[in-house]
This record gives sequence, C-alpha cells and structure tokens, in this order.
Amino acid sequence: MICENVAKMRMLETCQPPISPVDALPDLADLRAIAVHNLCFSYPDQVDVLQNLSLTIQPGERVGIIGENGCGKTTLFSLLSGIRSPSQGSIELFGHPLHAGHFCPEIGLVFQNPDDQLFSASVWEDVAFGATNMGLDPEVVEQRVREALSLTDIVSLAQRPPHHLSGGQKKRVAIAAVLAMQPQILLLDEPTAQLDPRSRRQLMQLLHRLPQTQLVATHDLDLALELCDRTIVLNQGQIVYDGDTQTVLSNSTFLEHHALELPLSFRRPYCLLADKPS
Amino acid sequence: MHIADGMVPAQFCIGGYAATGLLSWVCLRQINRVSDPAQGIPKAALLTATFFVASLLHIPIPPASVHLVLNGLLGVVLGYYAFLAVLIGLFFQAIMFGHGGLSTLGINAIIMGLPALLAALIFRSGLWLLRSFPNRWAMGISAFFGGAIALILAVSLFAVLAVLGLPGGVDAIAERTAIFALVTAHLPLAVIEGAFTTLVVLFLDQVKPDLLKHTW
Amino acid sequence: MSLSWNKEIYTPQNSWLHAWEPRFKLLGFSALILAFAMVRQWQLLPFIVLLTAVLYRTSQLPLDFLTRRLRYPGLILLGLVGLLPFISGQTVIWQWGLLTLRQEGCLAVGLIAGRFFSITTLGLLLLATTPFVVLVRSLRSLGLPVLIADMTLLSYRYLFDIGDNFNTMRTAMRLRGFQHHAKRLITLSWLNQLASLAGSLLIRSYEQSERVYQAMRLRGYSPHTRPPKTQSAALSSWHGFALGSVLLMAVGVIAADFVVSRV
Repeated sequence: MICENVAKMRMLETCQPPISPVDALPDLADLRAIAVHNLCFSYPDQVDVLQNLSLTIQPGERVGIIGENGCGKTTLFSLLSGIRSPSQGSIELFGHPLHAGHFCPEIGLVFQNPDDQLFSASVWEDVAFGATNMGLDPEVVEQRVREALSLTDIVSLAQRPPHHLSGGQKKRVAIAAVLAMQPQILLLDEPTAQLDPRSRRQLMQLLHRLPQTQLVATHDLDLALELCDRTIVLNQGQIVYDGDTQTVLSNSTFLEHHALELPLSFRRPYCLLADKPS
Repeated sequence: MHIADGMVPAQFCIGGYAATGLLSWVCLRQINRVSDPAQGIPKAALLTATFFVASLLHIPIPPASVHLVLNGLLGVVLGYYAFLAVLIGLFFQAIMFGHGGLSTLGINAIIMGLPALLAALIFRSGLWLLRSFPNRWAMGISAFFGGAIALILAVSLFAVLAVLGLPGGVDAIAERTAIFALVTAHLPLAVIEGAFTTLVVLFLDQVKPDLLKHTW
Repeated sequence: MSLSWNKEIYTPQNSWLHAWEPRFKLLGFSALILAFAMVRQWQLLPFIVLLTAVLYRTSQLPLDFLTRRLRYPGLILLGLVGLLPFISGQTVIWQWGLLTLRQEGCLAVGLIAGRFFSITTLGLLLLATTPFVVLVRSLRSLGLPVLIADMTLLSYRYLFDIGDNFNTMRTAMRLRGFQHHAKRLITLSWLNQLASLAGSLLIRSYEQSERVYQAMRLRGYSPHTRPPKTQSAALSSWHGFALGSVLLMAVGVIAADFVVSRV
C-alpha cells in the first residue's frame, strides 16, 4: 500500500528498522508526487462535480487551484486525501495507487475551517494526535510535536484549549497538527480565509518555508500569485488552465470568463497614492 | 427535576449507578453492532453539546420560566446514544455550574435517560404504526407523543424516587398525593414539550432528513 | 439567560488537593461521598460537616466560591423538602394554630441538609481541583468505556463554539423581531420560531460533526485504539498515604453511623 511503500522509501534514507514486511523496493525513478487520471465524481444530489480530470504534480511544487465556488476544489481535495473515492479514474501518490478510507499520513489536508480539525482538549494534544496514531514511540511523537510547534511559531500556545485561540492561531495549530505527521504533500483549502492581514502575511511566510509539495485551493488570488509558480483553473469540474501563474492571473478576459477577476496586485500599478497619474 | 445530593439514602445512589452502568452497557453493545461507531461518536458528541446548550433555553410559564427538558427530542434524534448523552449532559452540569449532583448522577441519569430511550422507541413505533398516514402526520404525531410521554415519565420517576427516598415517615396517602400533584402540575409542560419536539422534528425532516435517519 | 457556564469550575491553586494524583483523588472522594450518603443518624452530622469544612479549608479555595455555588441548589432543595417538618412524623414539638412542627420532620430536613452540604462540597472540591480533561482521562483509566470518554471530550471541546453559535443566531433572530422572553402567552408561531432556532443549531452541529469525523479519520482515529498507559503515583508515596487516610475516614464514618444506630 502507498503508506507502507513510502515508509520504506524513508527507511532507505534514514536506515531505520522496517515497520512493515519488506517487499520489492519501490521504483524511486517515478517521482511524480500526485498523478490523477480521468477523475470523475458525483454527489447523490449533484452530478459531474468533477469531469475527467487529469493532472500531474511534481515533488516540491507549489500549485494554486482557483475557480469559482462550486467548481470542485474541495471535492478534489477530499478525493486526493482519501476521504472519498472517485466514481471513475485513479489517483496515484508517488507512483502508488491511493485507496480511499485508509489512514495515509503522507498527504495532509488542512481544512478551510480550523475548528473542524481542532478536536482535542489542548493544542499539544491536537498536534500529537496524528503522530500518535501512526504508532510512533512517545519520544518520537514529542519531538515531532515540538518541531511542528516551532515551525508554526506557536510554542507558547501548547497548553491552551483550542476555543481560546484566535482565527490565525487556530490556523497555525491546524497546520502544525498536519505537519507533525510529516506528510510529503500538503493540501490547503482556503488557507487565508478569515485571517487578518498580519496573520495572513505570517501564514504566507510559513508556507514559503515549508518544503512539502503544496496544493493551495484559494479565492485569494494574490496568495496564488505570491506563493505558487503554477496555477490550475477549474470550472465546473474541469481543468481549463494549467500553467504559469503570472500568465493566467494577468489575463483579465480569461479570468472573467471563468467567474474570476484580476488579483489586486495587478489592478494597482502604482505603489503610493502620490504616484497615481493625474 | 434532579435529585440533589443528600436527598436520598446511599442505597438509591448506588442503585442508580448500578442501573446506569447496566443501561450504558446495553446501549454500548447496541452501538457497537453498528458498522462504524467511529462515525457515530463525533455526531453524537456534537449533538450532545448542542442539546446541552439548547437546554438552557427557557420558556416563560407565568409566574416563572422553565427550562425545556428536551429528553424526548434527544431520544428521537440520538437513539441509543441518547442515554450516554444524558449522562454526559449531567456531568457537564456538575462541571459547569458546580451545583453538585455527583453522588446522584446515576439516579438522575435513569430519571432523564430512560424516558429518552423510551421516546426513541415511541417515535420509531409510531412511524411504523402510522405508516399508512402521510409521512409528516405520522412523524408529527409520533414526535409529539415521544416528547410528551418522555417528560411525564421523567417527572413521575423523579417524584416517586424523591418521595420514597426522603427520610422520616410520611404517610402513604400524603406520599401519593405529592406524587400525583407533581405529575399533574407538569402536564402543561408535557404538552409544550411534545409540541416543541414535533416542531423541531418536522423542521429537521424538511431541511436535513439525514439527521433523523440513523442507523444507531 | 446567564451564560456563566462559559468555563468549568476548576480553579488552579497550590494545595495538596490540586497536586494529589487524580485517580487516587477520585477513589478517595468517591469513598467519602458514599460514606456521607450512608449517614442516617443525625448525631453524626456535626462531624461530617466539620470534616468537610476542614478539607475545604486545605484546598485554598475562597469561601465565597462555595457559598455562591451552594446557594441556588440549596434553595431548590429547601423548596423540595421544606414541608417535611410540618408533615412528617408523630412527635409534635411546637404548634401554632394549624401549623404543627414535628420532630421527625425537623430531623429529616437536618439530615438532608447536612448530607447535602457535605456531599455537594466534596463534589465541588473534586471538580475545582481537577481539570476537566484530567478528570475524564482518570475515569477512563479507571474503567470508563473509551466510547463514552471520547464522546465526553469531544462534546466538551465543541460546547463553547456551539454556545457562541447559539448566541449569534439568537441575536440575529432578535434583530429581526423575535422576542425571546415572550411577554404574552406562548403561541404556536413563537414556539415554531424557537424550534427553528434549535433545529438550525442541531443541523449546523450535525454538519460540522461530519467534517470533524473526516478530520479525525485523516489523522488516524479509531475508537478501538487503546489509550496510552499513564504512569501512576506509587502507593507508598504521599499520594497513597492520603488515599489510605481518606479511605479510613470513610470507613470510620460508616462504622460510627452503624454504632450510633445500635445505641
């Protein structure tokens, strides 16, 4: 299974004892982080939410996924993380098929609303939750939690209960909770939603620092512009653009045709009010 | 409708805990028969919290205002989880309000929780018995009786246990009168609870029928 | 509607009760509460009240903390049993017109009041010196089923958020004319609006619970995983000694009650 094989890949890197029976070595040449073939998905009350979607993501890429509400971004993420299984098509992570419903810490999903994924009594416990369920030793879990907390700069919040935190803090806890599982791929659903400007800036700096492959579904087009070199535009469950971010986000006609618009960065060519042409 | 600490002798408290333990065990067994109790736990937990918050609602019945008990609705919505929800709710009351009730947690859980389970049964049976009626009528009537009977049963249990448990000798006639008076005084509230349960159930059926169709 | 339930009653202090190993504390307090509940002789009341007072004093909790908490349930209790001195028993100790004060009834109320004070105070002590999560964990390690423990912790986590949602929705309704405290008689339409509020709250929680479940599964949750073994304090330490002492007190109370009943 995907998780066992990726764990084996890690073993080769770190020479730790195997945690599952050793089978044939994985094909390290197949480096595609995510490979999606002809993905289709329908809800009981909504058909063709995703239609024949195919895409490939290389390790280390940061890809923005943009589109109007209802275009299928969240559904795509729920399929990629294994919450749901597609009606048709396949998903491969690092060359191995993803089976929905199994615990796969290799791919981490950060929900749009952090309250939905902060369900423990304290920040520390929440961050440790996933790592503990991976069957790791308590010392390893503790170390991972410390690393995750310091990466997201929330060490001082470790003993606080989640409902005492601000939106920005909750977001960082949610990310730390996923990072503690040391995933290879991060899926971020509307990461800057409901954040104040400073928290948003801090989050963007954090995402810049993280080495994981990142898919960022967002309405915040300026975030996509700053963070992602590559952007995929979805419309009604299909990919209508997959390429350079700057190119698509400066094409106002194309964007408006797909119920989007130019990001703010491209609508204010002058920096200071004094420089505005009279 | 809670028996306070010290009001009843230790045998009642122990008996209450024993009965609660038994009933919990039965409910847990039923819950584990369902394919994925892992899915049921978050649902039941969040709904329990919601019911706890909702129970802070009060209805003005002059001269005072009364908290809605809602154990009938709890039973209809949560099924076997309802008893556990009552247990947890009582525990929260002790934690949040600090008004005591730890020694009588068991017996209070029976007073509130047993009628909740009964309400679930009445609701299910009602839907089956009235299946030839239009669905909303069947639902409404079953919910009404579930809610009203749950309240009456809770009050009755409370009255009987409280009166029997009090130290000192009160003659049997006075005891019976007290129980009768207490139950009768709550009949208007039972009607209101029944009506409220009906209204909520019909609302849920209209907006989110999945909530009412559960496999637990 | 007062929302003073916004936090638990746990109050951090530096007393021995706060530091006492939670499982031993649970066992000790349970035994003592049980012993107090078994008291049937009014002669023992001064002792159990004194014992309770001493324990409370050592907890470093302020006195008004106790009085504030006891007031409301005390009044309710009085309402429930206040008639007893007038209707229970045969021995008349005072009469004025139709009002007859009876000895058995008075003793009964005294007994109830004494037990109520002691048991409720002990319960309060337990909850005020132990954080909620620690309490649930200790119960779990003492045998509480995992399903119930998980449900309790999860409920607690979302209790405050749901309470906030409730307030927000209520405010929104009020701004559109809904009178929460109906000045007139309850009408069906008023009840209907209240039902919509409750129903909406239930639906929101239900939908959120599905997302929470997904989040839990994504991080490997399964109710069949055994909770991690926690280190327990040794019985030979002061924790164990305190437990032994409290158990001895409990046994002493029960024995004393038995002895007095025979005299």
